[in-house]
Amino acid sequence: MGFFVDATTAVFAVGPLLAMFGATLLGVLIGALPGLNPVMAIALLLPLTYSMEPLVALAMVAGIYNGSMYGGAIPAILLRIPGTPASIATTFDGFPMAERGEAAKALKVACWSSAIGGIASAVALMTMGPLLARVTLFFGPAEYFWIAMFGMASVGVMVGSDAVKGILAATLGLLIGTMGIDSLSGQPRFTFGQTWLLGGPDLIVVLVGLYALPPVLQLAEKCDLRGLSSAQLRLESVPFAKGELRGFVPTWLRSSFIGIGVGILPGAGGNIAAFLSYNAARNASDEPETFGKGNPQGVAAAECGNNADNAASMIPALSLGIPGNVVAALVLSALTIHGLQPGPQLFHQNPVLVGGFMVEMLLTSVLILLVGGVTATRMFAQIQRLPGVLLVPSILVLMCVGVYVINGRPIDLWVMLLAGLAGYVLEKVNIPLAPIILGMILGPMAEQSVRRALLISRGDPTELLTRPLSAVLAFATLGMIVWPMLKLLRGKRKL
Amino acid sequence: MTLKATLFGATALTILAGAALAEYPERAIELTIPAGAGGGTDTSARKLALLLEEKLGQSIAVLNINGGGGSVGTSQFIQSKPDGYSLFATWNSPLTTVPQVQQVAYDIDSFTPIASTSETAYTLCVKQDFPASTGEEFLAELAANPGKYTYGNDGIGGTMQLAAERIFQARDIQAVAIPFGGAGETLQNFLGGHVDVYGGSISPVLPYVETKEAKCLLVTSAADVSALPEASGLAAVGLGDEETLLWRAILGPKGMDQAIVDKLAATIDEAVNDASYVEFLASKGEIPNVVKGDALRTRLQNEYDALAKVSKALGLGQ
Amino acid sequence: MEKRQDLLTGLIFTGLGLAAAWMARSYSGAGGTYPMVLGLALAIFGGVIALRSVRAKVNAVRPLSEAPRNLFLATVVATGYIALVMPLGFFTASVLLMLVMPVVLGFRQPVYLVLMALVFMALVWVVFSAVLEKPLPPEFWSTLWREA
Repeated sequence: MGFFVDATTAVFAVGPLLAMFGATLLGVLIGALPGLNPVMAIALLLPLTYSMEPLVALAMVAGIYNGSMYGGAIPAILLRIPGTPASIATTFDGFPMAERGEAAKALKVACWSSAIGGIASAVALMTMGPLLARVTLFFGPAEYFWIAMFGMASVGVMVGSDAVKGILAATLGLLIGTMGIDSLSGQPRFTFGQTWLLGGPDLIVVLVGLYALPPVLQLAEKCDLRGLSSAQLRLESVPFAKGELRGFVPTWLRSSFIGIGVGILPGAGGNIAAFLSYNAARNASDEPETFGKGNPQGVAAAECGNNADNAASMIPALSLGIPGNVVAALVLSALTIHGLQPGPQLFHQNPVLVGGFMVEMLLTSVLILLVGGVTATRMFAQIQRLPGVLLVPSILVLMCVGVYVINGRPIDLWVMLLAGLAGYVLEKVNIPLAPIILGMILGPMAEQSVRRALLISRGDPTELLTRPLSAVLAFATLGMIVWPMLKLLRGKRKL
Repeated sequence: MTLKATLFGATALTILAGAALAEYPERAIELTIPAGAGGGTDTSARKLALLLEEKLGQSIAVLNINGGGGSVGTSQFIQSKPDGYSLFATWNSPLTTVPQVQQVAYDIDSFTPIASTSETAYTLCVKQDFPASTGEEFLAELAANPGKYTYGNDGIGGTMQLAAERIFQARDIQAVAIPFGGAGETLQNFLGGHVDVYGGSISPVLPYVETKEAKCLLVTSAADVSALPEASGLAAVGLGDEETLLWRAILGPKGMDQAIVDKLAATIDEAVNDASYVEFLASKGEIPNVVKGDALRTRLQNEYDALAKVSKALGLGQ
Repeated sequence: MEKRQDLLTGLIFTGLGLAAAWMARSYSGAGGTYPMVLGLALAIFGGVIALRSVRAKVNAVRPLSEAPRNLFLATVVATGYIALVMPLGFFTASVLLMLVMPVVLGFRQPVYLVLMALVFMALVWVVFSAVLEKPLPPEFWSTLWREA
């Protein structure tokens, strides 16, 4: 552990400290602005960092990554617009809390939970990185299939009051997920001869439209010309009641565990972590019916889960040289440009740099507490003071610029608009939106991995169940579906 | 007199060309990369862009457009203006392989070839306990057990798969192709023992050769690769004609001004041969390789024609 | 439950599902079976929703919009904005949107409006054009300028 002392000393210099502080703040802003997302921000900023001191550059990555995962919660709570895909689950309970006038409290819970998830994850990265990385290798296509199925099972919690419509939404998402080149047979599916559709519709573009436009249209409908007064805002800081924090501890532990578990698997990711954590919190709760109606535990679970994914997602990248998501790929790319070679030797090549990055992931999580709370309440909640009719065009402009810079493609703007209008109507007829996104994320993962698994087993489906690990995961998925039903039955019997 | 006139004419031309050049580049250049951020092509291109920025005195904004094995970004790029401010950094697959399996709206004539930058081979690697220790033994083991071994590759109809199938076809080998999303995913499944053979670019697997976890027995270039001393080049196993390389190039849209193309090609040549870039390439198992202008067009066309034959024989073509 | 709405929703998804399944016919192997099954499933769920709405006894009112006029205006302006971003250029179109949208929705404080539009767009310009140098749709007058 001696190298962490060196690494920490290296990090506690003016450059990295300033970079972490600034980047965490910037990350919160990026996460909070609808249309902008951390992956895009890191990809845009990374070229600027090539000429910097590596530890300063990595401090910026760490700050933006951790800060934005929390930042996404701010509009999710205040406007019901998830700032990043990973904060969809935060809207479920965060927005009802804000409607009840508990916005300040919801933000505080989100802030604490994000910080704690991030800290837990960074500690896992620092202490068990190489070990966990080896564990990920046991996960082959058959196991990935079950992970995707496990995620799909959590659709159950978001279907809302009408199960058929929820499942319909998930099916629609799965179908959208098949658009583009089928990577296993090479044939294009549902591309209508359009080259830009060969990669399928961009997830972020659809998400921005589907989730940000309906609330914007509703703002326009409300036609608020004056904005909230400071009395209506009710942002005076609400201290946690005695014992309230302790009530979150089980949720935090569970969500951190889930977030780290999902994070270490290349290709899984924060979006799924938040959904799974939320689902787990609901299943464990004594009063699951209060979820979705403004239960702070829901906010805590989702936010802790998505931040716990962050540092953990660096584990396969830093220990094996296998990037699990785009941010990890960008970090590896930055290290390569600074002359390091990703792989199992990475840590030994430059323990101070790699260790320093881990320390930075930890410190920026702590910084969320310091920076996040202040920005959220002092700056962002003030947005609600603006007249709603001014907010409408401002958010539209941000959505437009955010979507355009992803691929530099005009057609994406129309995809966003279309997704948004569809989203508005779907919500009105009680078809939930979250399962659509979940289907789009998990569908390709499930389809590709099951077909790969069958290719490897030469078409023998029993492989999906008999590799010891795949059996465990299949069993867990089954449990996930059956458990809430059992609970429901038991509850009824009591009555 | 005539000599004088010619000289005068030549000087005038140079000055004229110089005048057009003097202004270029006067604003930021956009560099489209038809692959996601953080991958092999992306990292090489971004590193090169840094050097080019320095030499051209203008900033270069990178735009990553992922999807369709590169065809999405490529199709979008050919619509940009040939004014020298839109450039394209690609590897060979979207231009020479992808059109064999996908209906695409571009061909080699949609581009102004500027210069290639680097090249490397694909490699086939196995775990340490695999019953072979040379390229020849490896191929013999595969041939003796048709359908027994699985090999991971970068995607169906991708250059890696074509490179491998060309070799397998020549030796009458049947191995099961498992397409993955990229070299990182292939590596993960290879290390975890889910597939028997790693097929992909050299740089991701290189650290595992050093730790003796993997042994790379074959490369898809005719010559040996110095980064992988254990591996045989195809010439060594008598398949020199079946060479398939992975190489990278910078192109522009059709109809660019020749003076700008020449200036860019010269600058790229300088940047690629910069000591820091050569060293960077070496760490990834790549070597600098600059082919400019029309020679590059011929190279693209020849590779396209050769791969068309292979994919037709494999039944991959349309 | 609004009967008419659900009937229409159900029928739309049935149609969508069947169309998808029809298109998936031409896709070979497992890569075709999967989307076909999904298409059929979508059609079935759509059918269930439509059928349920026909059988439902109660017909609770569920308006599609609370303020149809505002919704319509906002949608038209937003669509116009997206349509104008390419021809006019990003900043021109955005400033227009910032000025037009609030007025259309009934905002009547010109100074506040202009100030907000300018400050906000200046911020966007600083971040995306000055710092990040991201190419955004070019302004229509920038080429006129150069030609003149």
